[in-house]
Amino acid sequence: MPVTFTFGEMLSARSVIGTTLAELGKTHDNLWVLTPDIGATLVEFQETFPERFIDVGLAEQVCVGIAAGLAYDGNIPVVSGMLPFLSMRALEQIRTDVCYPNLPVKIIGTHGGLVGNGGSTHYAVEDLALMCALTNMTVTSIGDPAMVGEILRQSMTLPGPIYIRLAVGKKDKVLYAEGEHDVRIGKGIIARDGTDATIFTHGTTVAQALQAAEDLAADGRSVRVVDMFTLKPIDEALIAQCADETGGRFVVLEDHLAYGGLATRIADVVADRGIRLNAFERLGIPQVYAGFGDDEELRDKHGYGLAATVAATRRVIAHPSWPSSH
Amino acid sequence: MGTDMDNAMLAELGRQLRVDAVRAADSAGSGHPTSSMSAADLMAVLITRHLRYDFTRPDDPRGDHLIFSKGHASPLLYAIYKAVGAIDDDELLGFRGDGSRLEGHPTPRLPWVDVATGSLGQGLPIGAGVATAGRRFDRLPYHVWVLCGDGELAEGSMWEAFEYAGHERLGNLTAIVDVNRLGQRGPTRHGWNLGAYARRIAAFGWDVVEIDGHDMASLVKAIDDLPAPDSDRPTVVICETVKGKGVDFMERNLAWHAGSLGAEDLKRALAALEASRQKETV
Repeated sequence: MPVTFTFGEMLSARSVIGTTLAELGKTHDNLWVLTPDIGATLVEFQETFPERFIDVGLAEQVCVGIAAGLAYDGNIPVVSGMLPFLSMRALEQIRTDVCYPNLPVKIIGTHGGLVGNGGSTHYAVEDLALMCALTNMTVTSIGDPAMVGEILRQSMTLPGPIYIRLAVGKKDKVLYAEGEHDVRIGKGIIARDGTDATIFTHGTTVAQALQAAEDLAADGRSVRVVDMFTLKPIDEALIAQCADETGGRFVVLEDHLAYGGLATRIADVVADRGIRLNAFERLGIPQVYAGFGDDEELRDKHGYGLAATVAATRRVIAHPSWPSSH
Repeated sequence: MGTDMDNAMLAELGRQLRVDAVRAADSAGSGHPTSSMSAADLMAVLITRHLRYDFTRPDDPRGDHLIFSKGHASPLLYAIYKAVGAIDDDELLGFRGDGSRLEGHPTPRLPWVDVATGSLGQGLPIGAGVATAGRRFDRLPYHVWVLCGDGELAEGSMWEAFEYAGHERLGNLTAIVDVNRLGQRGPTRHGWNLGAYARRIAAFGWDVVEIDGHDMASLVKAIDDLPAPDSDRPTVVICETVKGKGVDFMERNLAWHAGSLGAEDLKRALAALEASRQKETV
């Protein structure tokens, strides 16, 4: 049954995965779903297409290896699981079995960031750095639960692999009204427009960035929020455009290590293209192994919560400009 | 079962594969000649009698799959390609050269290679995936053959694959384990104790055959007797072999695991292989 949703409502991204895969299973008779024992919402696909569903048990490495074998034979395998384990235990299989031959294996999972209250074993905080390093890999991180279905649908025509990162995915706010944005892999979304600064973010912190922009608007600050849900290939043109249109003032906010994720991707583009900025701040997870706590608590504790986002945005706006040439 | 004459021809092919593997490694100045030599007889039997594969039509979905999980035995794989006429001798001797598609480990740049191997422990899981597609989806009668090293049976991912394939009853999957007993820096944990591997793999739901990997008659019988591809149990053929087989100064000698041969070594190695032929023909 299709998931229906309304802007502003809470929605489970996991249920979107489940219904989207069941829907895609009908139109793509070569779509397979594999999992290392994770994902109650895969039941619909499993029951409808039992011959194309494989639960290998808790064995991430062979799960990705089998997916590569299936893809070699002309199939489209979706591997669904928990990202801390898929991205690290099976990293070499993802790199050598899937990315090297450029096979269309889709890796989708949850627990990206300090989410889910599972402790450091259960937080994927390095995954985007690892995945962005892999040649041929497309890397995404989705905040809006309703968007997950669209990304999965678009991924069916990608010739190579894609990594789709979610937070816990049980209950997230629908951020965008249907048809509000042109959602395309490789293109960032201007989720809120503004002129004083840009907050670039992805995944679970998009909602927080929008809230920060809203809070700053009360002070008369006009802050743009970009949902850079594709980290690789990164939307270079949009980064340059935001530098031009928001005073060269950037904040990058992410539920990932502050170094190695989106902030690093953007800094690379800024350096490579010689984009001139007036101020750049990155907010993300410092070099710590975070303990238990709920999502907001942990973000506050580690310096990238809502208050820190508002403060950093104020700082970049207040930062003096470089003298303009001539 | 083959006749003595057939078996003599198979032994001759095994010898030729060794000669070409050694020549390729010599030409490259690197590579893994001895790991190739131990499996040459196994592959001679497989490609002659069992592998249903048209090298001129690699995309034919009905073709068998041959995956070198022990990807470092690429000189042997490329010697096979030469033997079946897929590449010529010049290309073989360009092994590991600049611009050559014959890389140190097999890659899908080659039309006959499914996926890249060389990182040990990964070929059998991929083979299990290909076998699953054949069994559940394509409903095609192809067989998946995976050549494994004994060294890589220390990798956990191999045992994940044994467990999966046994449970999934992938009778269209056969693992051939080249138990040459030596890793890079010494004997493997179980050495030539084939039973140690046999008991473990049998426990995962596989049929198990243990043989002398250089005895053509028993190799032929073992593979001839494999269950039909539509059977419901995967099979492992565990072969006792000699690393560097056929060349006395390389046999069982760790120094040649990743050794480059000098001109003199190559001459001696080829002479030893020729001498072994004379001995057999007498």
